[in-house]
Amino acid sequence: MRQFIGTLLDVHPETGSLFGFCKGAGLRGCNTWRLALPDKEPDYRLMRRVAIGEEEAIAELYDRFGALVFKLSIQFLSNNAEAEDAVQEVFVRLWKTADRFDPRKAKLVTWVMLITRRHLIDCIRRKTVRPKSFELSEQHQVSATEDPKQSNMLLQERNAAILGALQALPEMQRTVIERAYFQGFTLREVSLQIDAPLGTVKSALSRGLLRLREYGLKDSSAL
Amino acid sequence: MTNETHNYKQLIELAVLDAYGLLEPIESDLFNRSFHDAPASVQDEIIRMQQDFAIDESLLPADLPPASLKQLVLNSVAKAADKEAQRLAPLALIGARASAARSQHGASHTTYFWRVAALILFGVSVALGVIVVDTKREVAKITNVALNNSATATLEDVVGAEFKSFIGDPYCQISHFIEETTETQPAYIRVAMNERYGGGYILGLDLTVGSEFVIQGTTKDGAVIELARFTADGPIVGRTFDISKHMVKGLTVAVVNAKTKKKWS
Repeated sequence: MRQFIGTLLDVHPETGSLFGFCKGAGLRGCNTWRLALPDKEPDYRLMRRVAIGEEEAIAELYDRFGALVFKLSIQFLSNNAEAEDAVQEVFVRLWKTADRFDPRKAKLVTWVMLITRRHLIDCIRRKTVRPKSFELSEQHQVSATEDPKQSNMLLQERNAAILGALQALPEMQRTVIERAYFQGFTLREVSLQIDAPLGTVKSALSRGLLRLREYGLKDSSAL
Repeated sequence: MTNETHNYKQLIELAVLDAYGLLEPIESDLFNRSFHDAPASVQDEIIRMQQDFAIDESLLPADLPPASLKQLVLNSVAKAADKEAQRLAPLALIGARASAARSQHGASHTTYFWRVAALILFGVSVALGVIVVDTKREVAKITNVALNNSATATLEDVVGAEFKSFIGDPYCQISHFIEETTETQPAYIRVAMNERYGGGYILGLDLTVGSEFVIQGTTKDGAVIELARFTADGPIVGRTFDISKHMVKGLTVAVVNAKTKKKWS
């Protein structure tokens, strides 16, 4: 009997057995994992079509998220040519990873922006010399065809909102955001650089990003 | 159980870092695992929060992409797909090249006959193998279902049919507790709480008859409340208890032996 009940209770929830529970999950309260992937979910279906390289699906994905991906790319890379290249690379990456999209874990926009941010952080990491502080004139390279002075002014203007928000943060939070998010250092590297435990870096980064967002929302609502 | 709040905070912290693409692959895996284990309400909260981060444009530049970028994107993906197809092409050619090499050398009718026969035999073997594996899998599945059905029926006889309303309910949070003992089969208790409609259920197995247990809940504010108290009138015990759906979210559950005051892990 015990063996049967054990079998009954320990079977994965997706098989539909009693009290589907997460084995080895520290024995604390845990949820039943949502059932099978929702084939009827429009975003899931879209990404299945993207995965097989269907051009209409990729065009639809671009129509929905292209502008957002471009804006974020411009913020990281600053000049238009680099940003346009990055957008193309991001969509190639989205095509390659499309079959990993799981609507039970995240909305499609979250997935797209996650892939974008990872790609942009990789772009920054690929640059051999990283700036010592977040200064647009140092960090962002200007293409040979652009006038450097004009371009820098444009960049300052473009990123005025985030620069203002960063200045409003406590020093620790500002430092870790600058280094991890905008300069592409890993959290461990940041931890060594500022001689703080990794957990402290994570907490400061998380709190800082939350405050940045609050600042942005307040700022935009004040306009 | 007391670190539930801490785990929740950690999970939210990781969710923020994950949304910004700042987690290393190992940490990302750990986050995914924690997310998977989290109650549905926490999962929903994280999904919403990460979505808010993703769509937030308040700190982004206002620039819009040039109209020509869409076609460039489509071309890039098409080019990448072609490149991928070319990369995989040699694999597809392996058979073709071998076939071409064979045709250069020529072969007698007898050789062809034996090759065809070998291929047919190979095909039959593979097909039989697949059938055997598939049959085994089906048998295992049927046995499992039969065992489950049998166990469900047996359990229903002992504790009543109410426990079935918690079976497979995706809105139920389950907590699992094991008695700390040197016995090879320690007693265990599961506590299920429905966070959508309220109500809870306790299922105890291999309990010591006569033992009294208290099911405690700790709220997010740290307040400890008694959810249920029961005495094991047999080794298998099933009990419902009342709890409002509003209380279920964020509640940390513990099982305490009323006599020894020992908390189950």
